[in-house]
Amino acid sequence: MAAAAPARAATLADRAIVAAGEAGGALILGLFLLAEDWRLITAVLVLCGAGFALLELRPAIEERIVAAFRRAPATALVLGAAIVLAYPFGMQGNSYALHLLVIALLYAVLALALNFQLGSANIPNFATGASYGIGAYASALLALEFGVSFWLTLPVAAAVATVFGFLLGFPSMRTRDTYLALVTIAFGIVVHQLLNNFDWTGGPNGLVGIPAPSILGHSFARPIVILGQRVPAQANFYYLALALVALAILAARRLHNSRVGLAWNALRGDELAARCQGIDVVWYKMLAFAVDAFLAAFAGSVYAAYVSYISPDNFTFLVSVTIMTMVIVGGMDNSFGVIVGAFLLTLLPEKLRIFSDYRLLFVGVVVILFLVLRPQGLFPQRPRSYGAS
Amino acid sequence: MAAPSPLLETRGLTMRFGGLVAVRGIDLALGSGEVLAVIGPNGAGKSTLFNLVSGLYRPSAGTVHLAGEDITGLPAHRIAARGIARTFQTSRLFGDLTVIDNVIIGMHARTRTGVLDALFRPRRARAELAAAAERAEALLGLVSPDLLARRHTLAGTLPQADRRRLELARALASGPRLIMLDEPSSGMDDRDTDALVEDIAMTMAERPGLSYIIIEHDMRLVAALPGQVVVIDYGEKIAEGPFAEIRRLPRVQEAYLGHKATHA
Amino acid sequence: MDALVLQYVMNWLVLGCIYALVALGFSLLFGVLNVIHFSHGDVVIVAPFVVLAVLQGLVAAMPAATAGALALALAAAILAVGILGVIADWLVIRRFRRAPAMMALVATVALGTVVRELIRMFYPQGSNPKPFPRLIEAQVALGGVTVPVFSLLAIAVSVAMMGLLFAMMRFTPLGLRIRAVAEDRATARLMAIRPGRIFAATFFVASAVGAIGAILFASYAGAVRFDFGIQLGLIGFSGAVIGGLGSMLGAILGSLLIAGIDVLVQATMAEGASYRLVFAFLLVILVLVLKPSGLLGRPAIEKV
Repeated sequence: MAAAAPARAATLADRAIVAAGEAGGALILGLFLLAEDWRLITAVLVLCGAGFALLELRPAIEERIVAAFRRAPATALVLGAAIVLAYPFGMQGNSYALHLLVIALLYAVLALALNFQLGSANIPNFATGASYGIGAYASALLALEFGVSFWLTLPVAAAVATVFGFLLGFPSMRTRDTYLALVTIAFGIVVHQLLNNFDWTGGPNGLVGIPAPSILGHSFARPIVILGQRVPAQANFYYLALALVALAILAARRLHNSRVGLAWNALRGDELAARCQGIDVVWYKMLAFAVDAFLAAFAGSVYAAYVSYISPDNFTFLVSVTIMTMVIVGGMDNSFGVIVGAFLLTLLPEKLRIFSDYRLLFVGVVVILFLVLRPQGLFPQRPRSYGAS
Repeated sequence: MAAPSPLLETRGLTMRFGGLVAVRGIDLALGSGEVLAVIGPNGAGKSTLFNLVSGLYRPSAGTVHLAGEDITGLPAHRIAARGIARTFQTSRLFGDLTVIDNVIIGMHARTRTGVLDALFRPRRARAELAAAAERAEALLGLVSPDLLARRHTLAGTLPQADRRRLELARALASGPRLIMLDEPSSGMDDRDTDALVEDIAMTMAERPGLSYIIIEHDMRLVAALPGQVVVIDYGEKIAEGPFAEIRRLPRVQEAYLGHKATHA
Repeated sequence: MDALVLQYVMNWLVLGCIYALVALGFSLLFGVLNVIHFSHGDVVIVAPFVVLAVLQGLVAAMPAATAGALALALAAAILAVGILGVIADWLVIRRFRRAPAMMALVATVALGTVVRELIRMFYPQGSNPKPFPRLIEAQVALGGVTVPVFSLLAIAVSVAMMGLLFAMMRFTPLGLRIRAVAEDRATARLMAIRPGRIFAATFFVASAVGAIGAILFASYAGAVRFDFGIQLGLIGFSGAVIGGLGSMLGAILGSLLIAGIDVLVQATMAEGASYRLVFAFLLVILVLVLKPSGLLGRPAIEKV
């Protein structure tokens, strides 16, 4: 196994593989999003399943694809950026498909946030949904009560949630594993119940009429028109959420390929040995909680501004569990896998609405099957490479 | 009073677990560049002694000084940062990380990148990591060229002898003043043990100022080590001196070599 | 004693017993299998539905024999849920014995969704809450105040179950084997104990005991809905954890504590009903911050 890709120049074949991979992925996603006929949806799902079965049976194919992406990062980046930027224009003005994309992107941010903890450091956290909610409420209250601009609420909401993250991380000094999991569950429930009970959070009815942000006079509530092409207003938030995902990926990469990421990985592997290497495990655990809350709050702020209406039920324990499932199904400590997990678990229940009554059942079964058949996740963690980058 | 304080000094070090006294009133002194072997039967309290010095346990009584500075009861990561590195009896590598990652993690206390640096000064963070990787490769080459060649494999897949070497390399990576090796030969056959003795001897020659405390069961290994031997039984130090003298003490033979001899 | 106070004390004991019956299952399963069976609450909440279904069937068949029908329905429900627990293990949970704890947790959460959705789909109008009868409507005078017989019965049944469970673990060959497997699976196997069977037996016992708790819960609340298992499971899980996972006495103690704060908040606060979960889970956090391995849990000293 050649884990460390030699710093060879990209060949034409590499570039072709990268292009085919990205275009193919975009195409399948688009097909799935726009499909209305249950036969087409099933066909796409079967196709994806077959693809993963092939990767499972022939690991060499996966290795080849990964090697291609590693050798041609510039091609991958430029082409990938072009595809995602042009994507809303390929949605044929379908605002529902765009809406699904926005939600999937926000969940991708949440899953990436949790991945810092669960993936890098194996710290359970069932309160990501609560941090998400705190971000959403903080941002919405600032906008509604004080008329603060959305762009200013973003950092404030993140700061509030980060304080919550540290608070949440505080018990991790002493509790571990299942006990720590319960502490986070308890925090999540307390936050949800408080949002549900306080008057100033609107109680169970939540907050309504959260204003949409605007930039340079362009309100996010209005459609985008470029060169006569018109895309629905959801596209504004698509780009906003996309920027957030890009930010999260950048942060994940930088932290992963640094002393901080290594320290997290060390305490994931063996906490005691990590301490003996000079790693302050308490600090790194609290840090993981804080980073998770920080990013989740960003997603919350954008969500609040996007749907303009939030209630406590958007931020329940089950939301936290869903985020956790995305990370585990997608592949711990692998940003790409985590994003795929987020898309899969957001889009699957939505597109299965045609199977109305069976959809949650189906999702539950799919999750169990994934965990049994591919316990390492769809895209498992990859070793770091030095010198090549 | 003129004599400089020893590198490591423990006085009356004691550890109680409930009613059980695992270590009782142990005094040790070790100078820079010295080697100390700790022997004793299973359950004598040798590993507990290591856990006390490395900060994993907080002693019930007694003190630990490193170069004259009181480090008693400091958390393990602080003690590691002050220059005490260790290995474990059952090697505790980061099995799902590569060999080189393991060594770089060993440098944690000597590197500086914090979370803000990693996020906002990526060039600096990357340069630091690249430098660490370079040093790690050099270190692996020193300990075992074979390990260097396998630096990108996962540590969990290594055979036992290589795990020991990697633990040694990881401990060296922190640039310590004192290394504590907990039964480096456990689980290894004679051939591997011989190779290990060579590796240890080589690192000693390479870094003359470095001090060692080695817990060992294998008497051939102990005999090959320079320096003093301390014998521990029932948590207490029962003898101290060069191996040649120690082995002849009746109390030591009775406590330790006696039943070991039946195995040989 | 003040009638109101007595009523609160009774409520506390009844709720505490119900939570304890669920918590004991968590503790037992964790002690033996080292696994968090997060769908435990969803599995046991099937029991009241079985009771309702069997009762309806029997009453339709022979309208006269109500007491006998009830007994039959209860027995059927407890048995069915015990078997359901074994099936859950056999289909899903056993595949995660060697997996990291978080995977088993997420898998059982998904399993809980599946169980819930199955109830919702297959029970007629499963999305709506179903009225559940009080097992006994009678009242009895106690120290000058009237107390529902149901409360006394619930407490008596729970205490009897706990006693039985303790006796089983202490004195029967099965209990001995369960403890042996919990202590050391490999050694138990050398003693010709087949862990697979022990796991099945443990799942059966844990689920059946939980089923009794769920039936009492439905009867206490006067209704049951397909998703009641989430909260019942969460509270039972919390009781087991703050008591110290693996400790049966701890599970009972933890459950009584949570039920205590629950009833206390409702009794003393104006908006008690809205804040009961807030205080119950704040208590959970507090206990775990002060006692990281639970009240009666063995503190983990890691062997180095």
